[in-house]
Amino acid sequence: MLKPPNGPRVYIPINISGEQVMRPDLDLVQGTLDVLVLKTLTWGPRHGYAVAHWIRQTSGNELRVDDGALYTSLHRLEARRLVRAEWGLSENNRRAKYYELTAAGRRELTAESERWNRYTAAVSRVLRTA
Amino acid sequence: MSRIPGIRRLFRIERDAADIQRDVDDELRFHIERTVEELVAAGRSPEDARREAETRFADLRAVPRRLVEIDRGRVRRERRAEWWESLWQDVRYGGRSLLRAPGFTAAAVLTLGIGMGANAALFSVVDGVLLRPAPFAGLDRVAMIWETDRASGTTREPASIPDYRDFRERVRTFEEITAFTPLELSLSPDAADPERVAGLGVSHEWFALLGVRPLVGRAFTAEEDMPGGPRAAIISEDLWTRLFQRDPNVTGRTLRLNDVTWSIVGVLPRGSDFGVLQTLGAASYMRGFADRGDRVRVDVWLPLRPAPNAQRGNHPIFVAGRLAQGASFTAAQHEMTAITADLEREYPQENAARGAFVEPMEAVVFGDVRQALLVLLGAVVMVLLVACANVVNLQLVRSTARSREVIIRTSLGAVASRLAQQFFVEAAMLAAAGAAVGVSIAFGAVAVLRALAPATIPRAETMAVDGRALLLTGVLATVIAVVVGLLPTLRARRLDISQSLHAESARGAAGGGRARRSLRATLVVAELGMAPTLMAGAGLLIRSLWELRAVHPGFDASGVLKAEFQLPATRYPIDFTNASSATARLGFLHEVVERLSALPGVESVALATANPMDAGFTSSIRVIGREAEAENWPEPSIRTVSASYFETLRVRVLDGRAFAASDGPASARVLIINTAARDQFFAGREPLGAQVNLWGANRTVIGVVDNERIRGLASVAPPAVYMPLAQIPVPSAVFVRMEGSDAAVAAPLVRRVIREIDPQLALFGVEPLEDTISGTLAQRRYTMLVLAAFALAALVLAAVGVHGVLSYAVAQRTREIGVRVALGADAGRVQAYVLRDGARMVGLGLLLGLAGALALSQAMRALVFGITPHDPLTLAGVTAVLGGVALLASWLPARRASRVDPMVALRSE
Repeated sequence: MLKPPNGPRVYIPINISGEQVMRPDLDLVQGTLDVLVLKTLTWGPRHGYAVAHWIRQTSGNELRVDDGALYTSLHRLEARRLVRAEWGLSENNRRAKYYELTAAGRRELTAESERWNRYTAAVSRVLRTA
Repeated sequence: MSRIPGIRRLFRIERDAADIQRDVDDELRFHIERTVEELVAAGRSPEDARREAETRFADLRAVPRRLVEIDRGRVRRERRAEWWESLWQDVRYGGRSLLRAPGFTAAAVLTLGIGMGANAALFSVVDGVLLRPAPFAGLDRVAMIWETDRASGTTREPASIPDYRDFRERVRTFEEITAFTPLELSLSPDAADPERVAGLGVSHEWFALLGVRPLVGRAFTAEEDMPGGPRAAIISEDLWTRLFQRDPNVTGRTLRLNDVTWSIVGVLPRGSDFGVLQTLGAASYMRGFADRGDRVRVDVWLPLRPAPNAQRGNHPIFVAGRLAQGASFTAAQHEMTAITADLEREYPQENAARGAFVEPMEAVVFGDVRQALLVLLGAVVMVLLVACANVVNLQLVRSTARSREVIIRTSLGAVASRLAQQFFVEAAMLAAAGAAVGVSIAFGAVAVLRALAPATIPRAETMAVDGRALLLTGVLATVIAVVVGLLPTLRARRLDISQSLHAESARGAAGGGRARRSLRATLVVAELGMAPTLMAGAGLLIRSLWELRAVHPGFDASGVLKAEFQLPATRYPIDFTNASSATARLGFLHEVVERLSALPGVESVALATANPMDAGFTSSIRVIGREAEAENWPEPSIRTVSASYFETLRVRVLDGRAFAASDGPASARVLIINTAARDQFFAGREPLGAQVNLWGANRTVIGVVDNERIRGLASVAPPAVYMPLAQIPVPSAVFVRMEGSDAAVAAPLVRRVIREIDPQLALFGVEPLEDTISGTLAQRRYTMLVLAAFALAALVLAAVGVHGVLSYAVAQRTREIGVRVALGADAGRVQAYVLRDGARMVGLGLLLGLAGALALSQAMRALVFGITPHDPLTLAGVTAVLGGVALLASWLPARRASRVDPMVALRSE
């Protein structure tokens, strides 16, 4: 099994300021991936390959995601009704499954992004004082 | 979302397991192909690119499986949500369409409510009384062994102690025999007023024979069951809770009963007195606390301790036995008959005309109750069937009217199964509403039935609408929902979408077929036929009660208050051979009369051994000079009364004189007889001055009084003899006649005065004598009430049925009626036209019902009093009421018909 080189182990703590910030049934890393996927879809419907490609490109190949985990994330988000899926035609006229944000997905993204920013800001503050 | 159920589903994409698998495979294949393309474009070889694409999946084989799993869960949830959504849609739609037809809905819900309510209520009664297992194991092998008396024709008499001993010794068909007797005890708790408790004196075999096991402690030993043995008592769970706060160490503590201290050795669980009240109530005399008319609970068990020198002519105990292995009740009866025949030969004096009657305990306890309840249960199931028929009928009416709706929905794409779901949801809503109404009816009805249950119904206090009754109602409601929902579904299936709406409406107007119409009419005639049967039954009972209330009991109870007590032999000793020595008793007697008479508003005061609605006990007498004619004379009831008794209770003295103050303990022994005794013992001769030997002494007859109906209003008074209380001082009841007719005001006065005279004495049965009389009618009133409720239910159902069918007929014939009106028929003619239809059904139903009523009345012969079972007044009343209600139910649709506007009617079709 090949691990992504320098693949980040990103942790989001359950408690950041006393309240529960994650759904307990979600894998922590998976949770982070979910936010990234949701973010990817803010510019309109995309298929799974495009999502993976975009994350790799945008993070400057820093974040390398296991494609299996990515699809698991997409299907789970669909089950949670945060994204909606529909079959369509890809750029080169092949049948592809397109994912699109739902209103609930948009709300989730806003909330999660904000939480993420608060978290990184807090961590940075701590690191700066050191 | 569509407002009409069944449309949306058409556009939904069905997804099954294969689709999900294919989608996942397609999606992943696309991904890998695109990755390969990208890598090849970047200059990698195709093989290398494919390997790289696949390694970007941590575990490529597991991924599709995981994705399919996630998708399956999602689809399942979506389907479930959709199902709930459609159900909710049906419920809202059903609610709307039911509310649009409020008449139909109300009729259906009420009808089902009555049907299910009656069933739940009666089931609760039957369940509480009959179905629950008896608290005693193997009660079906236990029998009462009554003594019989050919002379008086009584079959359920208590036994004498020597007879009981002989039975024990000689009988083989019973493996064990026990004796018991009712006790009225005065319990003096340490820190409270003395109170009256019911007790049972039992031989020590009683517990093992019936299978009663103490909760705490033990049963009696043989030693305790002997005269002079240790004084041991067993108490009820209730008393244990009330007096001893369920103290586990209660054994060893003591109880003061009738001024004597007893040691508690055990506690019996609740229900251990099962059947005692009914058994005592079945006896000809010695009924003890069963005569109080309340649902008395036994609180104390004492050992019987039979005296070794007990008299054979004295019958103070009841005998029960458990059949030996392999023995039958018939065999036991044969053996007991032989044994009593032997005893009659051996003791020709005391046991003359005596026999035995072996009666299964279950028959004694449940008596007629089982039969009556099962009959009522049958009746109530019929009521439910009629209710269902009614709703089906109403549904038929409605389903015709709904044909148009069904066609529109079908043509808009509703699938048959979806329509069926809709109909079933609607039926379920009706059934659920009916069940809710039914359950509230049942709760009310059972509360009333429990409160009014006479003591003859065993363990009536356990009647309750419990989980089982609710479960039954639920099952009934489900069945009803299926039946009622099935009908429009089947009908909808027959409607062909290719038929034009116009054709359908024309067919609807033609009337849905002659066969169906006659089916509906038949259902209604059957309902109408059942109503008079039940109404006549109730009517006969109501008339009987009226007649009974009008019976003169031989005394005047109005304005008289009764209170009962029992003087304990410890503080009030008595020697029957020398009454004047009983000074404490005579003093008590005197003081009670003196002090109560002195109270304001009191007209007169009397004492007696028993209240005039209590048959008391009987004893054999010998009329001097008529011994030769005394063959098979019944024993008269023995009553002792104070001098003022006849005056206070206004019993007419027909001949001779009443007792006077001069008939004291020391003066000549005197006797008064009632007219029944005069006719029996002195047929045609002069009774005054005659000598009667009773209790070992000759007594002179000094008067004849009117018959008091001591066996109840419905029974002819038996012969009775009265002796002055001053000569036999065994008072146990006091009567106070108040000026004016309100006797209840005397209750606190009597309580206060008796407490002043003897603070240890427990008073009970303090009530106006009129209530005592009324209490003797409780069982009749109960049966009447239940039947009357059913009759009312049947009447309502019949009225709803008639109304439903005629309304439908009118709706169907709007066009025809319109034509008639257009051709000049006036409102009266149109109404008569509809009413004629109604009258035909009502007439037929009444005819059927009256035949049923006559058949039922034969079965009710025993319950009817003072009127013939086919009382014309009752039957006429039933006919009038039912006819009136049914015609009213017909008149409403008739009026609607007469208001048909011919223009509207003709255009609407």
